[in-house]
Amino acid sequence: MSIYLPIAELSVNIFLLLSLGGVVGFLSGMFGLGGGFLMTPLLIFIGIPTNVAVATSANQIVASSISGTLGHWRQGLVDFKMGGVLLIGAFFGSILGVWIFSRLVAIGQIDTVISILYFALLTGIGLSMLIESSKVIRDRIRRKSVKQKIHYHNWAHRLPFKVRFYKSKLYISIIPPIIIGFVIGILSATMGIGGAFILIPAMIYFLGMPTSKVIGTSLFQIIFITALVTILHATTTFAVDAVLAFFLILSSVIGAQVGVLAANKLRGEEIRALLAIIVLGVATKIALDLLVKPNEIFNLSVIRLVF
Amino acid sequence: MIRQLIIVFYILIGVLTPSISIALVIGSDQEEIYIDANFSGEELLVFGAFYSDPSQSRDSKSDILIEVVGPLEDVALRKKDSYFGFWLNSKSVTFRDVPGFYYLSSTSELTNEFLTSNQIGLLEKKKSEMIDWSSLTTDWGSIINEKEKEEFYNALIRTKKDESLYKQVSDEIEIIDGNLFRSYIDIPNTVPVGEYNVNLYLIIDNEVSQEYSYNFMVTRVGIEEAIYTFSKNYPFFYGLISLIIAIVIGWSGAEIFKRFRKV
Repeated sequence: MSIYLPIAELSVNIFLLLSLGGVVGFLSGMFGLGGGFLMTPLLIFIGIPTNVAVATSANQIVASSISGTLGHWRQGLVDFKMGGVLLIGAFFGSILGVWIFSRLVAIGQIDTVISILYFALLTGIGLSMLIESSKVIRDRIRRKSVKQKIHYHNWAHRLPFKVRFYKSKLYISIIPPIIIGFVIGILSATMGIGGAFILIPAMIYFLGMPTSKVIGTSLFQIIFITALVTILHATTTFAVDAVLAFFLILSSVIGAQVGVLAANKLRGEEIRALLAIIVLGVATKIALDLLVKPNEIFNLSVIRLVF
Repeated sequence: MIRQLIIVFYILIGVLTPSISIALVIGSDQEEIYIDANFSGEELLVFGAFYSDPSQSRDSKSDILIEVVGPLEDVALRKKDSYFGFWLNSKSVTFRDVPGFYYLSSTSELTNEFLTSNQIGLLEKKKSEMIDWSSLTTDWGSIINEKEKEEFYNALIRTKKDESLYKQVSDEIEIIDGNLFRSYIDIPNTVPVGEYNVNLYLIIDNEVSQEYSYNFMVTRVGIEEAIYTFSKNYPFFYGLISLIIAIVIGWSGAEIFKRFRKV
């Protein structure tokens, strides 16, 4: 059974969509990730146009990060003030990101740029996960060093416009979080990701935030970033496919909950390594698509219907 | 869907060519094709008769030609080139006012000379080296080389053919009884919406002796059409509604499962 996607303008098998959303949701629930970094390339693999994949993926992340934030919020693990400062940067970053995106669509280089960005991102994620999972002990040592860094005064403490963040027990300049938010905003708008994979380490290492508050705060600000990106894409690139988003959200929310349950039962470094291999597999596929000579070196796109 | 809606037209040309008395009768099973959620392409039936006098035998030189021209569009054709081992888009050509769908069918193989002299046809004929670019207005950009232009032109036709949007055949018109004909035209699910012209030609002695045209529409219908139109006309509210759906499902999903876990 297939369904016609009105914005992507093609028919896709409905079970393929549901299982895609379910699997990505399951992985994101299990590992506490947004899943956008897998959703966008997989949508492109099944034939969804790049612009629709990116814009719709942002819409889907809104749903999954809301689900995730609620739990952290109830436990008081969200630093709203820090989230708000990050969002100031993210606001301008995502506007710039959507502008860059529509320029790339206009000159016909969007597919290539997205492929290269995803190859870099997924290789980075995959390798770091593989190393992390294969060296559990080293991972523990690293966590200790993170805790020490909370009281370490780096360059973020010397800049002007210092503000006190009570929840994170920090007194730092707002410039670094604004810059981090700005970069995440650009990446979110161009790649259709929440950016947690970059945001979380940046918050720990650059801002020195306590690890317990990091996930909730990043999820909280990802809701707003991806919400903004969804609106920006809907109004400038017209690439948000509500029908596609609906099926992905439905299946990924269910998948994520199952993933959370599964994580409690079979948390293991083997599963983490498995995800790393999946991520690296996707990265390899992207690289091959760029490196192997395509069967058809010409590609056609309709610019405008003449009436 | 209005099926079996038949348009029948009679054109008598006894006045113009008194020596031959031929009538052209054509019809089609649909005057509108609807694209809905389950649209997976359709077959358009075009049928008719081309002799008025049943006692007259079919002249071996007379042929039927059916041409279907879809709505015009502008397309960008991009060529990939290898840069340091990476296959990236490089040169780009914009073709303006290109039919989004083109179908040419005849009862016998048509020569390129015939197509050119009668200004019919868009597709290259393999047998001939001559290519008629005049029917396409193009923006060649940086490309000045004739050979490269030809490469792009052929690629345009090829990519459209690969999407089943362009087709030229000489064996799809079925002739029944010498003077009745019928043809099934494949309308793939990728067709653009808009007005389609069906041109029917009667060819005698390599000359177009009769010509008849009619239109049909390809339209989007149902919820898909509503969503598409809404997203174009009210993009902000469309984005907002997409967001609300995400928020509601995200929130309620978490709440429902929380209860599950408590139980």
